[in-house]
Amino acid sequence: MVGELASNYSTILMMFGFAVVATAPALLISRMIAPRKRSNPVKFLPMECGQVPSGAGRTHFMMQYYAYILMFVVFDVMAIFLYAWGSSILSLPRTATLPIIAFLAIMFAAMAYALDQSRRRNIW
Amino acid sequence: MSVIAPKFRFSEFLKSITDNLFWIIILVTLIGLPVIMIVLLFVDLPVYQGELINPFLAFSWMFHPELSLPLIKSFMITDFFRIAVFPGFGFAVLLATSVIFIERKMLAKLQLRVGPFYCGKIEGILQLMADGIKLVTKEIIIPAKADKPIFILSPLMFVGAAAAFVALIPVAPGWVVADIDLGLIAVFAVIGFFPIITVLASWSANSKYPFIGGIRALFQMVSFEIPLILSLLGVVILTGTLNLSEIVASQASFPWIIFLPVGAIVFFIAMLAELERIPFDLPEAESEIVAGWLTEFSGMMYGLVQLGSYIKLYAFAALFVVIFLGGWNGPMIFPPLEEELILEGKTIGPITIQTPGLPIFSMEFFSGVFWFILKTAAVIFFILLPRGVFPRVRIDLLLDLGWFKLIGLTFLNIFIALALLYAGVFGPGGML
Repeated sequence: MVGELASNYSTILMMFGFAVVATAPALLISRMIAPRKRSNPVKFLPMECGQVPSGAGRTHFMMQYYAYILMFVVFDVMAIFLYAWGSSILSLPRTATLPIIAFLAIMFAAMAYALDQSRRRNIW
Repeated sequence: MSVIAPKFRFSEFLKSITDNLFWIIILVTLIGLPVIMIVLLFVDLPVYQGELINPFLAFSWMFHPELSLPLIKSFMITDFFRIAVFPGFGFAVLLATSVIFIERKMLAKLQLRVGPFYCGKIEGILQLMADGIKLVTKEIIIPAKADKPIFILSPLMFVGAAAAFVALIPVAPGWVVADIDLGLIAVFAVIGFFPIITVLASWSANSKYPFIGGIRALFQMVSFEIPLILSLLGVVILTGTLNLSEIVASQASFPWIIFLPVGAIVFFIAMLAELERIPFDLPEAESEIVAGWLTEFSGMMYGLVQLGSYIKLYAFAALFVVIFLGGWNGPMIFPPLEEELILEGKTIGPITIQTPGLPIFSMEFFSGVFWFILKTAAVIFFILLPRGVFPRVRIDLLLDLGWFKLIGLTFLNIFIALALLYAGVFGPGGML
């Protein structure tokens, strides 16, 4: 049973592997036939529209919308929880929907509060 | 410029054909057939119908279609065929490359241009091949301070993740690479890899424009993943299954887009955002941040990322078809074959077909694939269309759209599905 399940999922991994193996030769062929001139070190500088790059490439970046990332961490998991209910709803009694409605209400209220807070840019 | 050869003579044309035929026959008999024989001598051959197959028998089968048919059929039900050729990689790449060409032509027509024209005699049909050759022969430049292994691997991983997504799409009844019970959850799991690959590629490049593009891609995919996930919950509530083949089978009489249009619209918009298509192409906004997270990719690495993104486009369009438009369901357009022809063969006037089991595919299969490709092409058309019509959305408006409007609409969609279920329209003992 477990082996059967694993074999079903293994085809996805095999597809991933096949795609990588089938497209890697394109890079190898390119490496073989394309010209490789290493005479000019300026060529290997990062792209900055023709200017000589200044500062580090991996800089600090102002996370202006950081609140959304925090919300994603919580609500993505909750969205997947709803699938556990949605896929088994046909075999559940009708009264089982009420707790889920309550769950949805809590989720929606929490999301509304978080969105309201995320608009206050001065606290982020 | 394509010009007809100045000294065109029909006799010389015939001579070139006969010359080519002569050399083909000479080379095949002197080199091709011995090479096949030598290879067969070193290959482990299977036992077929209680008889060990020797190289000479296998050689004669190769040129005897009646005998090699069972071998071809047995090859076609293997996992390798599914992964490499039909519902898997080969099929997806074929559709993706044709989408690239059609997009260029269609966009040109929308903007009153001509588009690819000179390469190939008919409407620039060989342009894609020329572009491919150009990309292969270009030098791959990797920035000096980049994290090389990750930077080189990220295009490959992008193509691989797109192919893993394709593996979950059922194309015709029984024709799916991975037929799993949690198909929809697996789709979400695979979609979740794309932002990681994007951020890895942009971080490893050690350059500023890819970095900004990667951050933008992260925000965009993060805010549209929840509407994408929740918009499909309505269909799951009404069908009670997560298996994509069963979801298609549940739409035999009507597609779900009729009853859940809100979910379909939200899914379509979230799909555009996940695919980084205009109006949501902020991660690669070419008029603001050069090419976004693709800035430092050059040559074939850029080509692989493009290939991956078009495979992803096909996979998303196919997912929309599978979930909302009824997949392979549609009227039978090809008449089914007669029993006699399949089992024993038939004589029609001077032609005798006496090869039992000759039809490799059933006509239901052809019909299913026809409807699937037709619907997918229609969805791809609507994905490509905004590129010629809309401008780019600002990033705070994009986040606003994802978090405020689309999530609200998905909740509405869930309540529409619940109302349909509890009003007795669907579900066990329902009207439909």
